[in-house]
Amino acid sequence: MDEEPERTKRWEGGYERTWEVLKEDESGSLKATVEDILFKDKRKRVFENYGQVRLGMMRHLFVVIDTSRTMEDQDLKPNRLTSTLKLMEYFVDEYFDQNPISQIGIIITKNKRAEKLTDLAGEFSPRRITAVWLLKHFSDSFCAGSSISHGWPRLKQSVSNRHMPGHTSREVLVIFSSLTTCDPSNIYDLIKTLKGLKIRVSVIGLSAEVRVCTILTRETGGTYHVILDETHFRELLTFHVKPPPASSSSECSLIRMGFPQHAIASVSDQDSKPSFSMSHLDNSSGPGLTLGGYYCPQCRAKYTELPVECKVCGLTLVSAPHLARSFHHLFPMDAFQEMPLEEFEGERFCEACQGELKDKSVFICSVCSSAFCVECDLFIHDTLHCCPSCIHSQSTS
Amino acid sequence: MASEDEVSLLVVVVDVNPIWWGQQAQREPEFTLSKCLDSVMVMGNSHLVMNRTNKLAIIASHCQESHFLYPSKHWKAGDAAGDDAVSSSRDGKYEVLAVTNDQISEEVRNLMARTEVKGHQTDTLLAGSLAKALCSGQEMKSRILVIKAAEDCALQYMNFMNVIFAAQKNSIVIDACVLATDSGLLQQACDITGGLYLKIPQKSALAQYLLWVFLPDANQRSQLVLPPPVHVDYRAACFCHRNLIEIGYVCSVCLSIFCNFSPICTTCETAFKIPLPQMVKPKKKKLKPAT
Repeated sequence: MDEEPERTKRWEGGYERTWEVLKEDESGSLKATVEDILFKDKRKRVFENYGQVRLGMMRHLFVVIDTSRTMEDQDLKPNRLTSTLKLMEYFVDEYFDQNPISQIGIIITKNKRAEKLTDLAGEFSPRRITAVWLLKHFSDSFCAGSSISHGWPRLKQSVSNRHMPGHTSREVLVIFSSLTTCDPSNIYDLIKTLKGLKIRVSVIGLSAEVRVCTILTRETGGTYHVILDETHFRELLTFHVKPPPASSSSECSLIRMGFPQHAIASVSDQDSKPSFSMSHLDNSSGPGLTLGGYYCPQCRAKYTELPVECKVCGLTLVSAPHLARSFHHLFPMDAFQEMPLEEFEGERFCEACQGELKDKSVFICSVCSSAFCVECDLFIHDTLHCCPSCIHSQSTS
Repeated sequence: MASEDEVSLLVVVVDVNPIWWGQQAQREPEFTLSKCLDSVMVMGNSHLVMNRTNKLAIIASHCQESHFLYPSKHWKAGDAAGDDAVSSSRDGKYEVLAVTNDQISEEVRNLMARTEVKGHQTDTLLAGSLAKALCSGQEMKSRILVIKAAEDCALQYMNFMNVIFAAQKNSIVIDACVLATDSGLLQQACDITGGLYLKIPQKSALAQYLLWVFLPDANQRSQLVLPPPVHVDYRAACFCHRNLIEIGYVCSVCLSIFCNFSPICTTCETAFKIPLPQMVKPKKKKLKPAT
């Protein structure tokens, strides 16, 4: 049964001589080494360029947060739970920024049971997650054991009963803090069921590596990491923001979507009358009458924000920029080549920000051979997703 | 008022498409590129004077390149040598402003003189200039003002949208001052980043519009009566006919939009599953085991 590759654990290998990283220069100062370490930190980025692989763009992700007593531990400040919730807020914002047409839901496990906190929801559902809201719910949730398997039947039910269409990618992300699980049924059967439903489970461990999680993630095709510190936790969450490669079994289909026009009406317009927005029907705060909004092209129901799924006719309503946001995943940028400053022959100016090139190395675009400084390189790859000079040399998109 | 230490950068991107401006000089000789740049210089000076810590950058967006008119890298090296020339500002103007204006005029003259327009490249590289503007305004609070002359180039759509999303992520406001034809791309940019879009009714009054509408920064705009937001058309264009559609079909793999259902996506060539009506299996009656 044990098919996993041979991997030496940390306690099996020898200790690395960590003090050798620090080197003094002639005058005895560590300044050069410190600058080097800071420079490498700036450059540290997970460069997972999948290449020409199909990606799962429309994602349905459930986040399962463990709220057992181990979350009271103070190795993450102020305690693990508060730190996790803050990072969750960041994660949800980034997730909707990179995947605007996807949905997210939250489940917590406490008291040996699991509770579904929010159902799968898009960005502008009334139950949008805010840290304050989450903290209100979580303030008294420390409990004894952590149940993982109880989370699964609930999860399985919600995933399959919602007639989830085959073209979306079904994912679960578990933030697992304790070292034990209390499950009523055999967890290997559960793993088989999840595999059958093509749900990809990834785990971020906060304590240590647990074998059951390793098997779970390996069988379903997800990833398993254990955090080192808060920065590493944030990095791992950022890794999960990007769309994963689509499994070969996900179906490709044409999804019918509506692109509503935004009707802006002012009070002086005689024809416009204030009306209720369908998205605020559950919300009991305030009257909710607005003049303008987005009207569904199929059933003329009004909504105030996009993207949303029409409650009346079931049509997904988006606007063209939402789809455009995901385009950069389809055309990923290549990394720039790093070259030491001494070898670089051109003018010592960064093409993008016109600042002088002062760092140790410059970054050259392989297509247009223009030089960029460290900050511009980070900005271009993380946020801009297109090389400023390449846009100039060709007038095609 | 902004606190003393806050650095606020204004980047003005001026469209200097030589073909459009050449035709403009023939249509209306009283409003030429030099008049436009005079108005931009007035606005730049006003911005620098509003607060001691304000900074300015001006980018000229041409058909073949985007060039920083101010601050210019060549002047940095010759700063020490240029001191005698600088102090002779003839009309008693604040020296920083005199230097700024001189740099801008010098650079624009060099730019227009050295570039040759080739036949097929007639569109302004606006997306590239905006990308450079974003990179230069990273460490400080900044905003971008685009003065657009020529028409939109549909080929730049992808890059333009990337730039707009990057600006929105870094809270950089993009304002647009359009001289001639309405630009859908800039309308979307202003709507998404929260900026102002204005199509000027009278080109000769450009300086007035710049000072009244675009000079105040985002904090002060809530207290002013400004032109109302325009209606932005967010409908998508289908990939097959380029028509604007209200309901369309989106490929789940490559996100291309089609107006009619087709079994194969033309962009990524995936074959789609055609949804068939569900078969209802007749329920089998369970036989009771014989006891």
